[in-house]
Amino acid sequence: MIGPIIRLTLRALLRQKRAIMLALIALAPAVTAGVYALARPAGANVLDFYSGIVQQLFVPTVAALIALVFGVSAFGDEREDGTILYLVATPQPRIELVIAKVAAAWVATLVLVVPSLVLTAAFALEGRLTVARLGWPLLGVVLATLAYCAAASWLSLRTRRPIIIGIIYILLWEGSIATFAASAAKLSISAYGRAFVAHALPQAARPVTGALTAAVVLVAVVAIAAWGAARALVRGELP
Amino acid sequence: MSDPAIEFSGVSRWYGDTVSLAEVSFSIDGGVIGLLGHNGAGKSTTLRLCGGFSSPSAGRVRIFGVDPRRHPDVYRRIGIVPDQSPPWPFLAAREVVELSARLHRVADYRAAAMRALETVDLADVAERPVGEYSHGMRQRAKLAQALVHDPDLLLLDEPLNGLDPAQRSHVIEILSRLGAEGRTILVSSHVLHEVERMAQRVLVLVNGRLVADGSTAGIRRLISERPRRVRIATDGGARALARRLLAGPEVDSVGIVDGQIELETSDPSALARALPSAAREADALLAEVQPVGDDLESVYAYLHARARGQGR
Repeated sequence: MIGPIIRLTLRALLRQKRAIMLALIALAPAVTAGVYALARPAGANVLDFYSGIVQQLFVPTVAALIALVFGVSAFGDEREDGTILYLVATPQPRIELVIAKVAAAWVATLVLVVPSLVLTAAFALEGRLTVARLGWPLLGVVLATLAYCAAASWLSLRTRRPIIIGIIYILLWEGSIATFAASAAKLSISAYGRAFVAHALPQAARPVTGALTAAVVLVAVVAIAAWGAARALVRGELP
Repeated sequence: MSDPAIEFSGVSRWYGDTVSLAEVSFSIDGGVIGLLGHNGAGKSTTLRLCGGFSSPSAGRVRIFGVDPRRHPDVYRRIGIVPDQSPPWPFLAAREVVELSARLHRVADYRAAAMRALETVDLADVAERPVGEYSHGMRQRAKLAQALVHDPDLLLLDEPLNGLDPAQRSHVIEILSRLGAEGRTILVSSHVLHEVERMAQRVLVLVNGRLVADGSTAGIRRLISERPRRVRIATDGGARALARRLLAGPEVDSVGIVDGQIELETSDPSALARALPSAAREADALLAEVQPVGDDLESVYAYLHARARGQGR
């Protein structure tokens, strides 16, 4: 019975002004790529530009922040106004509630980031766009945002400041520490997301792991976070 | 023998240094039961523990024999009206109640939702978003989502708040009927006369302690028999009147405060009968007679003190 909960949560997530703000953030890479396409100097390496914008802006910042906000809001908004009681006071298995919420947050995230990635690729690569150059980054974004959404949902049930903690993780840990400390990248969701990009685009740095291992790690993050969130619903204090 | 609908065994709940419930034990099964207490007495905490939204710090809570937090299947038998705002204000009431029916696995959820909305008189406005409802309508929408799956146990946190007198009577009538059908309904309130209209049994909480548990009539008698303080203002003769009153059996103690008589009586009716003749004999002209501390807080304080005296 997760369908009605997914639809309900999607309506709640996408009807707010916050969704418009996130849509604008999602469009930032596409706008950047569009400006680049218009002002591109002759002989510029479009693959390097596209690789840079995907690996340094799209995956680690734009997609991560949007997934964080939707992932936190899926449970967090209802926890804040007490509505969560109406879901918890039902015979639905707790893990199903969590799966429905994470799925809704993930779909909402993809609604914003997938069109933006397609536009970014189209503007940046123009005639050099191939299925692989779009598909691998897309796979990385899809799996990384799922992991971010699950982790954010777990955070929203475990702490009172999930957004702040999430932003510190994304900007400080992933965006700074993990860029110069190789071992720290092993605890970075975006590093595993970027590992997919290496299959189709030039790399500035060695990826943290191969695509298959990255997929396994990200799925494991989703499973652990979902289990933790379900456990928090059973054991935690609700409003 | 089936498990009781609700069973509290030595339940305490504290938040940091604040004790919200202290060693509360009771068992209820069938009928409408009032949960009475002042604000902060522990009513909502009790209902939250029943609803599985919180865990006891000590003791055990069982709903139909199980811990609802670990056995969510028991929610098929529970309907809850929390104190919080109604769910999903952007949804129409019909959508809210249908969703509740589906999540409680009601087969014909559309028909069940319409029945529940008709029960609370919201069928005509079922397509309006709950966020546009008045407070009273929201309360009834909350009640409809709690009734839609025909639960055996209803947990209602102040369900009459915000309702006009006609709506109150209607909701009380619904709850009384459901109770008479054998369901268990635990309804919290801080207004005794509201609870009296529907509950056969009352649990009284004061400062997190269960200070009285009994029939509604018994609790009413207990409250009416408590010692009362009365202040009497006279135009002269206060001391003489105080002496005369103290000599009679109706008055337990007397004092003069700011020129007025303050006395304590266990039998206010006898005092009312004796006072005019005593005033005449003392040559005191009665200016004002008024009870002191007759508000509900004082009643709770009395019940609390009485329970402590009994070693609770």
